[in-house]
Amino acid sequence: MAEALVIKGLSKRFGGLRAVQDVSFTVQENETVALIGPNGAGKTTSFHLITGFHRPDSGSVLAFGHEVVGLRPHDVCALGMARTFQVAKPFGAMTVLANVMTGAFLRDRHVAAARDKALEAIEFVGLSAREQTPAKDLTTIDQRRLEMARALATQPRILLLDEVMAGLNPAEIDQAVALVKKLSARGLTIVIVEHVMRAIMAVARHIVVLDHGQKIAEGAPKEIVENPEVIRAYLGSYVHPPAQGDAHA
Amino acid sequence: MQTSDHMKWLRLAIGAVVMLALPQLVTSSFAIDIFIRILLFSFIGVAWNLMGGYAKQLSLGHAAYFGLGAYTSTIMQVNYGISPWIGMIAGGVVAMLASLPIGWLCFRLRGPYFTIATIATAQVLMLIFLKFRDFAWGAEGTTIPNLGSAPLMMQFEEKSSYYYVVLGLLVVGLWITHRIEQSWIGYYLVAIGEDEDAAEAIGVNAPKVKRDIYMISAFLTALAGTFYTQYIYFIDPATAFSFNVSIEAALVSIVGGIGTLWGPVMGTVLLETTSALLQSWLGSSVGGIQLTVYSLILMAVILWRPTGLIGFATDVYHRYVRRKPARA
Repeated sequence: MAEALVIKGLSKRFGGLRAVQDVSFTVQENETVALIGPNGAGKTTSFHLITGFHRPDSGSVLAFGHEVVGLRPHDVCALGMARTFQVAKPFGAMTVLANVMTGAFLRDRHVAAARDKALEAIEFVGLSAREQTPAKDLTTIDQRRLEMARALATQPRILLLDEVMAGLNPAEIDQAVALVKKLSARGLTIVIVEHVMRAIMAVARHIVVLDHGQKIAEGAPKEIVENPEVIRAYLGSYVHPPAQGDAHA
Repeated sequence: MQTSDHMKWLRLAIGAVVMLALPQLVTSSFAIDIFIRILLFSFIGVAWNLMGGYAKQLSLGHAAYFGLGAYTSTIMQVNYGISPWIGMIAGGVVAMLASLPIGWLCFRLRGPYFTIATIATAQVLMLIFLKFRDFAWGAEGTTIPNLGSAPLMMQFEEKSSYYYVVLGLLVVGLWITHRIEQSWIGYYLVAIGEDEDAAEAIGVNAPKVKRDIYMISAFLTALAGTFYTQYIYFIDPATAFSFNVSIEAALVSIVGGIGTLWGPVMGTVLLETTSALLQSWLGSSVGGIQLTVYSLILMAVILWRPTGLIGFATDVYHRYVRRKPARA
């Protein structure tokens, strides 16, 4: 298997806050990797750094061998790496179809061709019934579906999903898990940031754990749930009660 | 599809005949003057709408390009005897080039900060032309030499000829807008207006798209500047770079419906006729009353119909005529 995404020594400071410190991990082609950690661990910042929304202070991000640090988000997308946002960002005034067509235009400027590609992506995520609905009228799960369809329409090889399950009810989480598995079956390499452990265990073959901007563990799901470092990060430790300002658990 | 296409062409044909016949049927010079104002500001609104409406980059500095267009053609005509028809295109090119550094500076800012920066650019240009005595007549401005009937120099004896010129401009503006709206650029513009980050994330080169549409918008606005100067035979920095032009461009689009093909035209028709009628009814009774009523109407439209007249008309159409969800 080839390496799809190689992240080495990624660091970013915001003033005095070290948001991401020397984070490295590798994602194999067609693998699904989960990035987890308590709130403020640096997961979303990592996504921003990988996709060009923030520029890292140091480190490198190779997508299929191409250095993407220094590229603008649209160039990163053109290289085949698409993302969704933690807070869904639909183009509210546009219909679902128009939203997804906008993504499809990256690879084909013709309206008819973009429409065909968009319809396919919309069907894939199960949103066909909402095709002509203005995006602002969608429910939460349908907005997440739309984000995925829009990203999918850009024909990515790597897909970064930022908390696509937040705010969903258990039944919807099952649907979302099924959708992520379907994306993986399509051959996509997926990096997923998620808090819903049940979902992570269902989709990820490999987990990277961040805390305070640093990678504290990495491995198969089974190893991760038993890792004392990870348990301490999430629950705090009995030996040393968390100091003030450290009480995130 | 076939019949709705036929209906569309039929409506366009009827519209064209009416617009072409209008100055022959209504010969009062006062009325034709109002028609010309409506067509001119519709055209400026259409130019503004490309960037301000579709991409929601609310510029209040389009007077910069109106003025550059006006000055370029006038300098070429008065100093070098070059026809304003050529000057008009030259003015458009000058405006396009000017939009590059102006856009480079202003697009670093978003939202209201962008708007304020655009206001400043128009004001700076006005000041430059106020001081530019040797080349551009400074604050006094200049009159355009009247050659009588000289179509090649964009001078006509009949007011109706000016009407046809500005009608032509509007048709060009609407045609360009229509082509953009139907293509990938239209989708990209609306996406940028809705959420620039989300647009970037799916491969939209937002800075480039904004720069390009700003160039087209500036080019068209400059054509209006040349036309206006030729129509009133006078130019000075205060009229050419008037803040009113910037406001009017945005206002007619907002009232009519931003990001729609016909919005600026609808908005201008409403605002210009209202203002002309109020002027003739109330102008002589109490000083300033017509402006007060005009402002109240404006506030009412913006408060109750923020999607503009087009949005209102679409809602009514779908509610009472054809029950179908509104399409964005």
